[in-house]
Amino acid sequence: MQLSLFTALALLVLTAAGFLLGRRRALAAGQGRAAGLHSLPDYYGYYVAMWTGAPALVLLALYGLFGGMLVNTLALAELERSAEPLGARYESVLEIDPAHAGLRAERDQAEAGRLAAREYADAMFTQHGAESPQMAEAMTDVDGWIAEGERVEAELETRESQLLSQILGAAPDSPQGLAARAGLEYAQLPIERRQLFISDIRALAFGEGMASRDTAELRAAAAVFQPYETTIKWTVCLLAFSIAVIGLARAWRRVAPGFRARNRVEGAISFLLMLSSAIAILTTLGIVMSLLFEAIRFFAAIDWRVHEFLFGTQWSPQIAIRADQIGQSGAFGAVPLFVGTGLITLIAMAVAVPVGLFAAIYLSEYASPGVRAWAKPVLEILAGIPTVVYGFFALLTVGPFLRDFAMLLGYEDAVTQSALSAGLVMGVMIIPFVSSLSDDVINAVPQTLRDGAYAMGATKSEAVRQVVLPAALPGIVGAVLLAVSRAVGETMIVVMAAGQAANLTANPLESVTTITVQIVTLLTGDQEFNSAKTLSAFALGLVLFVMTLMLNIVALRVVQKYREKYD
Amino acid sequence: MTDAPASSAIREAVSQRLAKRHRAEKRFRAYGVGAIALAVIFLAILLGSIGFQSLGAFTMNTLTLPVTINERQADPRGDGTEESLRRGNYNAIIQDGLRAQFPSVDDRAELRDLFGLYNGVNSASLMRKVVANPSLVGGTTDFTLPLSDDVDLYLKGITVSERFAGRQGALDVVVSDQTVRLESAEPAFADFLTVMRDELIRRADEAAANASRLESAAGAAATRDEREALLSQSRRQAALSVSLRERAEAQGDVVLGTDTPALFLQAEGGVIQVRSVSRDGRIAVGETLLPLQAEGPITAWTEWAVETPSNARRISDRRMVYARALEDRDMVRSGFNTILFTNADSRAPELAGVLGAMIGSILTMLVTMVLAVPIGVGTAIYLEEFAPKNRLTNFIEVNINNLAAVPSIVFGLLGLAIFINLFGLPRSAPLVGGMVLALMTLPTVIISSRAALRAVPPSIREAALGVGASRTQAVFHHVLPLAMPGILTGSIIGLAQALGETAPLLMIGMVAFIADPPTLGLSGFLEPSTVMPVQIYLWSGAAERAFEMRTAAAIITLLSLMIMFNAAAIYLRRRFERRW
Amino acid sequence: MADDTNTSANGRTVYHANRHAHPVKVAAAGVDVSYGDKQALHGVTLDIPDRAVTAFIGPSGCGKSTFLRCINRMNDTIETARVSGSITIDGEEVNDRGVDPVILRARVGMVFQKPNPFPKSIYDNVAYGPRIHGLSNSRDELDSIVENSLKKAGLWAEVSDRLHTPGTALSGGQQQRLVIARAIAVNPEVILMDEPCSALDPIATAKIEELIDELRENYCLIIVTHSMAQAARVSQMTAFFHLGHLVEYGPTEEIFTNPTDRRTQDYITGRFG
Ligand SMILES: Nc1ncnc2c1ncn2[C@@H]1O[C@H](COP(=O)(O)OP(=O)(O)OP(=O)(O)O)[C@@H](O)[C@H]1O
Ligand SMILES: [Mg+2]
Repeated sequence: MQLSLFTALALLVLTAAGFLLGRRRALAAGQGRAAGLHSLPDYYGYYVAMWTGAPALVLLALYGLFGGMLVNTLALAELERSAEPLGARYESVLEIDPAHAGLRAERDQAEAGRLAAREYADAMFTQHGAESPQMAEAMTDVDGWIAEGERVEAELETRESQLLSQILGAAPDSPQGLAARAGLEYAQLPIERRQLFISDIRALAFGEGMASRDTAELRAAAAVFQPYETTIKWTVCLLAFSIAVIGLARAWRRVAPGFRARNRVEGAISFLLMLSSAIAILTTLGIVMSLLFEAIRFFAAIDWRVHEFLFGTQWSPQIAIRADQIGQSGAFGAVPLFVGTGLITLIAMAVAVPVGLFAAIYLSEYASPGVRAWAKPVLEILAGIPTVVYGFFALLTVGPFLRDFAMLLGYEDAVTQSALSAGLVMGVMIIPFVSSLSDDVINAVPQTLRDGAYAMGATKSEAVRQVVLPAALPGIVGAVLLAVSRAVGETMIVVMAAGQAANLTANPLESVTTITVQIVTLLTGDQEFNSAKTLSAFALGLVLFVMTLMLNIVALRVVQKYREKYD
Repeated sequence: MTDAPASSAIREAVSQRLAKRHRAEKRFRAYGVGAIALAVIFLAILLGSIGFQSLGAFTMNTLTLPVTINERQADPRGDGTEESLRRGNYNAIIQDGLRAQFPSVDDRAELRDLFGLYNGVNSASLMRKVVANPSLVGGTTDFTLPLSDDVDLYLKGITVSERFAGRQGALDVVVSDQTVRLESAEPAFADFLTVMRDELIRRADEAAANASRLESAAGAAATRDEREALLSQSRRQAALSVSLRERAEAQGDVVLGTDTPALFLQAEGGVIQVRSVSRDGRIAVGETLLPLQAEGPITAWTEWAVETPSNARRISDRRMVYARALEDRDMVRSGFNTILFTNADSRAPELAGVLGAMIGSILTMLVTMVLAVPIGVGTAIYLEEFAPKNRLTNFIEVNINNLAAVPSIVFGLLGLAIFINLFGLPRSAPLVGGMVLALMTLPTVIISSRAALRAVPPSIREAALGVGASRTQAVFHHVLPLAMPGILTGSIIGLAQALGETAPLLMIGMVAFIADPPTLGLSGFLEPSTVMPVQIYLWSGAAERAFEMRTAAAIITLLSLMIMFNAAAIYLRRRFERRW
Repeated sequence: MADDTNTSANGRTVYHANRHAHPVKVAAAGVDVSYGDKQALHGVTLDIPDRAVTAFIGPSGCGKSTFLRCINRMNDTIETARVSGSITIDGEEVNDRGVDPVILRARVGMVFQKPNPFPKSIYDNVAYGPRIHGLSNSRDELDSIVENSLKKAGLWAEVSDRLHTPGTALSGGQQQRLVIARAIAVNPEVILMDEPCSALDPIATAKIEELIDELRENYCLIIVTHSMAQAARVSQMTAFFHLGHLVEYGPTEEIFTNPTDRRTQDYITGRFG
């Protein structure tokens, strides 16, 4: 860090020097007058500075982003290489260990049994249907085989770790031996625990954060990491520095009165501008790719039972431990989440659409400038309040109030965290959104239409209801769609006020959960990154993204068409 | 052409319907007024309730305690070095200081109540004080520490309802080894008995009401099980009501317990807790919590009735007595809660503050600003001034509009998958948080910057190009400065939005409990931290009442920050507004 | 009336006869209009005959539309507009507080510069007025009102087979006639037209002019136009406005052949405008 920081500083100094040198040379070439030059002297300075700083700084930035990864890859490769003899011994021990062989056979048996049982279950399903006793029996059978498989798997793991520790214990305590042991340990770690292993090594080697443990093996591995880090760091820094110097020299030599420095600099600027507009595309691409990629991993983890994810009615990701079980128990059935999301969205829209629309109508058609002057800011404030504040309000004020009110009316099971309180508060949050979009839309209706209605003797409300609103309808539909997309994607209010229970219910007084709530629940707190549970959050994210994207595209299209009509 | 109805007939027809139409008009207008009123009322309730809830958190009660920093405890190695001083047992020092105030307290349970007046974490600040000034060792110094949240709320009168009444008369005090017997010729305790009776009857009525409500609910129950359950609940409530009423009406002594109001007697510098009162209100039996300084009959005392039963409050009887005693000795001060702004998060509500989250927010916002504003403005300039109008730029536009409507949590997923898992950047770091928020804010900045650029009339560009400036020069020298106010306003509004954003930061692990504020410097960008809205979210989930108030106070703080942001935006808009 | 004798003394017998046949319908006296601080009309006083076409001419921004909009109180819809002075229709004061603009506008129809059919079907456009004012008790009655209005507007032949297609799908000229049909569906007494032909081609314009000429038999028509030729063709009376003042008002032929005011002459001969 220190070295690269120092290099970056040096590069900045060099860049400044490049500017001054380039400028000076240009002035000298033009005999001190700018008139003889193609461009202003400053442009020559910029040109030289550009070639001095940009490539080197890009290199340094790349190193900052990927340097750690590179070191990890190289050092781990070395560790694994040094562990090869140990690994081979381990493999051979596994091969000849009678207990292990027995367990392997048992596992194969269990797997075969499970496959057969499942085939039978599928047949029963097609013959007798899901509710039939034959089906239930077949499913018990499948579950039995799964349990058997798990037992065997667990025993296999125990046996393997026994053998592994034997092998490790036999290796010498020399630095090479320790490194080999670390390499073997790493190679045997399940993927989700490798990250922690690496960050422990880095912590010991470079003091990046705190190591979760400190063993001789880890220290030996850290010693393997260190030289790679040092070499790469120095190489990169020296390389960056030389690139800068070479760039400076070359650019400086090109400075001449006829040289079109300004065009070059401007070309670079427009390239930069283009690059920044590419970020927007990259962001979308990043969202799509990351969601797709992780979602695919999730679906792979649940045996590609995508339909069970989309149409299953049982959501309990916490208890799903193994891929097989998931398929069986339908623990990843997202329908309750969809229904919860829909219910809350419905309630929110029931509040936001009429209130927002009437507010917009009132403000644009009726209100005096005085009223408008304070009512609009009120709506803007409502729009500016962070959603976490709405969530707090829903949780501590609206929720208890609604619960007490429901109890007063004789509904005993009322709870504080209910779809109703989350939906109501979310509706209020969306009011300004609906009203400002509708306001735009209503104002886009040409005055001549209103005049036409008034000239026919229509009252204001008749003009609004019979002429303005029908004319504005497409735009309002677009606004409502955007609002729905907002409600579907809203997170904090529902996380705080709607509860976690995956109830499949249409009762607004019960707790429900939504897509966003589950994403938050699955991804906060302790998580191992590769479990199906964690990955399911990305599948939910994908659903959410696709849903809102479709809503947005349709809504934006509708609104745009509408605008064009009256432009 | 005389087929049309005569005009007077038309006038007739029109006026006939007119009243109805005007009523419809009024109704419609009323809906509009109602909608606006609803928004206003809701905003008022929202801000009002949060403001009201936050009131208790802006003041705090602190205890200033003389403590003796003896060598044995403060300087275990005896060499006076910093290292040795850091190993001192400062909690024991504070505890000794408290015991010195209450020499009569020695029993384990009593000590627990006494030491619960403050949180042990405060010993660290005493340690820092001593380390900063080693000459304190061996002497006595005043140490100021916040009282624990239960005590603080109690002293603020928020959690416990109680009444103090001065009394005169003659009260015989008979002390036997465990108990104290107070006797008077008059019914000195009659007032309290009324309080007690009222309270019992009130609760009996409440239970009876519950019982009948449950019974009627059982009548409407859908299933048999449900009905049974409701009925048994109802029976329990009814039984409770009967027993409460019996207690209220019973003859014989009135016994005070954990489910009844409590009664204390303050006299001669001591406190007696009454355990039972005779029905005629003349004799009370209790125990001494703090010894009376004089013996014999007393002529003046304070009757201290605590209506909230001890099983309905978090603070014990004894701790209340200790707190009041310290208050009477003028050692407790109520002042502005500076801790809220000088501390980071803590498990103890009285020590929890928003400083850590505030610094986290500043660091995160810096990253967001540095990334989102230049990239956003750059994109806007490119699309508005340079880009050819073709399919690609059209696609970029559609893409940006869609990004603006992508739920913020999706950006969090992006950050988790790409920045953390792929690039290996640290979790919970302001750098990553800022990057995620920058991507989220980008569309807002782009859209508002484009609007600002579009508002600059083409004549300005033409004029610049006309005098021989290049396209780039025209844009950067002439158009951009004119569009700057609009761009700034849009950027500030985008940043204010990002400042209040929570969901995406939860995804990248900025929800951790962070007891030390991150460094307000370069290294802080990679340290684990949290931000204001996330802190609000974390606190809102805590059970303690004091955290609830602090959440409200944190919200008020955040809203003030956002108001400042928006005021800046409005100021800029006003200051630089131009009409073409 | 003093005016009448005046005109007859000048030998304008055609109009003399006309005005006897058609008494004053709309009478304005001392009408001032201002938008905020800006005064747009200064003391306009004139009498408009029934069953005749009166044309308002004058350079742009002189207040023709403003005056027109006073007659059916359309200026009420503009927040900043202030109207004073008196306007009567059949002797009834228009600006009285007691007069409901809704009733007034049912009596005074208006057609705008740009055709503004509602985004509804042709049928619904024409039926709009009768519906809101409750002028028909049955579907049949409404059908016949629509048919008659469209016939009077000369549009029936073109649209009778597609009454339920959107009114906005018609051509500009058809739209303008549709709007006229919409206006006459409530059988108003006065029809105001603000540059009804400015957005139309010559053929459509000719049709509208023909229509105006026919409507004259039953209605009091007031039209604003920028075309001298049109004013001369369709109107019997002409008023010339300039900078918010009514400069000259009289029989069309007289205004065009023998204007008394210099400004009128300049404007008619195209010297400014
Ligand atoms: N809504 C309004 N607010 C403010 N001023 C207005 C408004 N409408 C018209 N005016 C002003 O009143 C004056 C008269 O306008 P008016 O529309 O009556 O002119 P006009 O004679 O109809 O012109 P044109 O032939 O161009 O239609 C003009 O100066 C105009 O600027
Ligand atoms: Mg006009």
